[in-house]
Amino acid sequence: MTARIEAEHLYKVFGRRPDQAVERLEQGADRDELRAEGSTAAVIDVSFAVAPGEIFVVMGLSGSGKSTLLRTLNGLLTPTAGRVRFDGQDLTALGDRELREVRADKISMVFQHFALFPHRSVRDNAAYGLAVQGVPRAERERRADEALALCGLAGWEDSWPDELSGGMQQRVGLARALATDADLLLMDESFSALDPLIRRDMQDQLLELQKTLRKTIVFITHDLNEAMRLGDRIAVMRDGRIVQTGTAEDILLRPADDYVASFIQDVDRSRVLTASAVMDTDVRGDEADCACETAEPGTPFTELCALSARLSHPVAVLDADRTVVGVVPESRLVGFLGDERGDPIACDHPRDDRKVTARA
Amino acid sequence: MPRLPLGDWVDSGVDWLVGHLSWLFDAIRAVLEGMYDGIDAVLTAPQPLLLAGILAVLAWWLRGLLAGVLAFAGFALVDSLDLWERAMSTLSLVLVATIIALVISVPLGIWAARSRAVSATLRPALDLLQTMPSMVLLIPAMLFFGLGTAAGVVATLIFALAPGVRMTELGIRQVDAELVEAAEAFGTTPRDTLWRVQLPLALPTIMAGVNQVIMLGLSMVVIAGMVGTGGLGGAVNEAIGQLDIGYGFEAGVGIVVLAIYLDRVTGALGTQLSPLGRRAAAKARPTAFSYRPRPAVAVVAVVVLALVAGGLGVFGPGATKSTASGTDIGQGKEIKLGYIPWDEGIASTFLWKELLERRGFKVSVTQYAAGPLYTGLATGRLDFETDSWLPTTHAEYWKKYGDRMEDLGNWYGSTSLELTVPSYVKDVNSLADLKDHAAEFDGRIIGIEPSAGMMGLLKDKVLDQYGLKGKYQVVDGSTPAMLTELKRAYAKKQPVVVTLWSPHWAYSDYRLKKLKDPAGAWGKGDTVHTLARKGFSADNPEVAQWLKDFSMTEEQLTGLEARIQKAGKGKEQDAVRAWLKENPGLADTWAPAGKAGQEAAG
Repeated sequence: MTARIEAEHLYKVFGRRPDQAVERLEQGADRDELRAEGSTAAVIDVSFAVAPGEIFVVMGLSGSGKSTLLRTLNGLLTPTAGRVRFDGQDLTALGDRELREVRADKISMVFQHFALFPHRSVRDNAAYGLAVQGVPRAERERRADEALALCGLAGWEDSWPDELSGGMQQRVGLARALATDADLLLMDESFSALDPLIRRDMQDQLLELQKTLRKTIVFITHDLNEAMRLGDRIAVMRDGRIVQTGTAEDILLRPADDYVASFIQDVDRSRVLTASAVMDTDVRGDEADCACETAEPGTPFTELCALSARLSHPVAVLDADRTVVGVVPESRLVGFLGDERGDPIACDHPRDDRKVTARA
Repeated sequence: MPRLPLGDWVDSGVDWLVGHLSWLFDAIRAVLEGMYDGIDAVLTAPQPLLLAGILAVLAWWLRGLLAGVLAFAGFALVDSLDLWERAMSTLSLVLVATIIALVISVPLGIWAARSRAVSATLRPALDLLQTMPSMVLLIPAMLFFGLGTAAGVVATLIFALAPGVRMTELGIRQVDAELVEAAEAFGTTPRDTLWRVQLPLALPTIMAGVNQVIMLGLSMVVIAGMVGTGGLGGAVNEAIGQLDIGYGFEAGVGIVVLAIYLDRVTGALGTQLSPLGRRAAAKARPTAFSYRPRPAVAVVAVVVLALVAGGLGVFGPGATKSTASGTDIGQGKEIKLGYIPWDEGIASTFLWKELLERRGFKVSVTQYAAGPLYTGLATGRLDFETDSWLPTTHAEYWKKYGDRMEDLGNWYGSTSLELTVPSYVKDVNSLADLKDHAAEFDGRIIGIEPSAGMMGLLKDKVLDQYGLKGKYQVVDGSTPAMLTELKRAYAKKQPVVVTLWSPHWAYSDYRLKKLKDPAGAWGKGDTVHTLARKGFSADNPEVAQWLKDFSMTEEQLTGLEARIQKAGKGKEQDAVRAWLKENPGLADTWAPAGKAGQEAAG
């Protein structure tokens, strides 16, 4: 399947003589050298492709260039060099008017601080994109109401943005983006301004919606937990460059460098890891011969822990053909939780295990 | 440092503009005066109280019942002060200036908000317009557009332009960048972004700018009164010129009523126009005082009142009385007189107004400062004036404009300029005595308008000749301020030295002593001339002949001046009529009706 949106060697440089700066970057100059010369390289040689229906998360700290990158994807910013292809069409080659049409019809955006129009009702906000498309009033109001209902805001159509809580406002922002039936959703730190609990709700709702809508989503965040929860694939950005692209597990288990590794320390592994990531693939083949419960490669880590607690021996992992593909001993679970992969070291003064267990 | 001839450049620039672009200025003038006349005609058509009612309903609709009642009371007060027409004239002037200022400033502000370069270019220009003293703007405006409405409108709108531009720019720049980005992200065209997002959200700020424009316009209108725009500004100007505190206050109150009304109504209009403002207003709990009729009701009320007003207007000011009696030489021809608020100027001007009206001319008189008066004559906006002190006092003006006007001869014999002290000041009898008494007078000589010829003479010649340079400082001010100071000092018996001239009524009101001028520094006494615009004699041969033959004795002039002084402000012409009645025959001597036969004067 071809990519819905694709970035090829994207560069975005602000300041003086951007083209020259790109040349210098291609020759290996780094960001700080350029800054001394008066230009700021926000995005450097970024390439990726997002498949239809995929949630692609770009994760990075502030100043890493992730928001700039997002804005080059819908042409709000023109890349200094490189290409953006949307359904194979080169957006960088389009004129202002064609670009506006693509934005109006095919790409919508959800903002960090909601960016609702305070002088329009909730319904008119949700219908904004349709109004730009020139959809007649009756139809656009019907579609806006549908989008609002989808986002759980039925009954609030005639309210005003300032009467809603932050979470509800962002639902309006989401409804506005969904109402246009755009194929691509750009979400710029869309949940960062919300309370942790509301943020969880919104993440769940987005995943829930995604099950039925199958939009292509590029999601920007600075929160790796959020990235891992939402992202089918994650790109980690640092200083304008993508340092690693991969699934949540890839990032967690095989960090590309120390920078990424330092990030994942704070990640709640138990929510990301699955049986396939933690199992020991060195199997004899008879581990599942008892009548005990077994796991699948996709079984989440927490479920695996629960299983393990109920069994007196390592959990067997069976694939779809009921063949044993791995085993998960208890020590491995504990090890992954603590990011410790080595084998246990022998104790120099062994005590009676049973007593300790009983006391514990 | 070499002296930079900036002033000369400006002078020649202005001269060039006047010379080469007069067609443009005439066109602008025609448009401005057309707008002004249109609005003024609408405002003065209905009976004052009916229009007050319409304005009150507007205030009621926009702000509430209390505002409506107060608006009606305010306008009724203006009417009862007999200032209605002047107030409406001022209102028209402000409206015209505001409309044009907005037509220029809002697009400029939008442009500036979208382009940093434009913004950076505009900013110093706006600073210049806003801080340049208004009189400095007024004079070129007068040269370009002549005396009257157009110059006033232009000066007002230039002065009022800056806040319109600034607030529009500010309002648009203040709109949350994320909202503008959101609009762009959904493919909105720049124009739609402006109309759908930026302008609606900037509207409260823009309306605050509109409000500022109107307020500045109103404050400028008073100053514009100096170039003969009439209205309340003219009234204030006349009152100041003649030291008539009561009348000045009344006119001031009229301006205040207009200012408050316009301020509150435009403020409310801002709320009503902006969607956010409407919501905020709807949330506020209504009280009896803030009850507002629905728009439909208000519109109906305004229309009904307007229709009634229109109907009555037909009968209202239609009955203008014709003062032309006797031999109709003028046949309604218009003659425009200007005067400086000096007593002999007022007396002779109103005398000629009466005389010319008796001969069938339509005469308008307007008060000016000396500078604008000469400019008005030189540019042909005025027909004649009767109060030029030549060859000395007004020498500067004559030098500059003399070749563009006609001298119809002098009508009053020798005058004199002098420094004067109250007679209770002993030991000072001559200018030479002043030198040793500087401390007594605080080293101050109370002067009049710096533009007056005698001030130049005093500073350049008189002080030098008597060795007073360095010992005395000449205080620039105005004739009324000088007279006030004299009155104040006289009441307290303090020593004071003022610039004064003869004839002047102050000599009959106070016991004063003219300081002798043994060196003859003041020069020979002036005579009072009548000056007319170029071509006036050719257009009005009879009138020119009358003016050439005109002369008054000291007894006649002081008699008439005293009569006018006693009658008070606004009754000058009545005083002239009464005086002519007491002096039968004079009217026919000064303005003989020719072969049509003698008319029974009075």
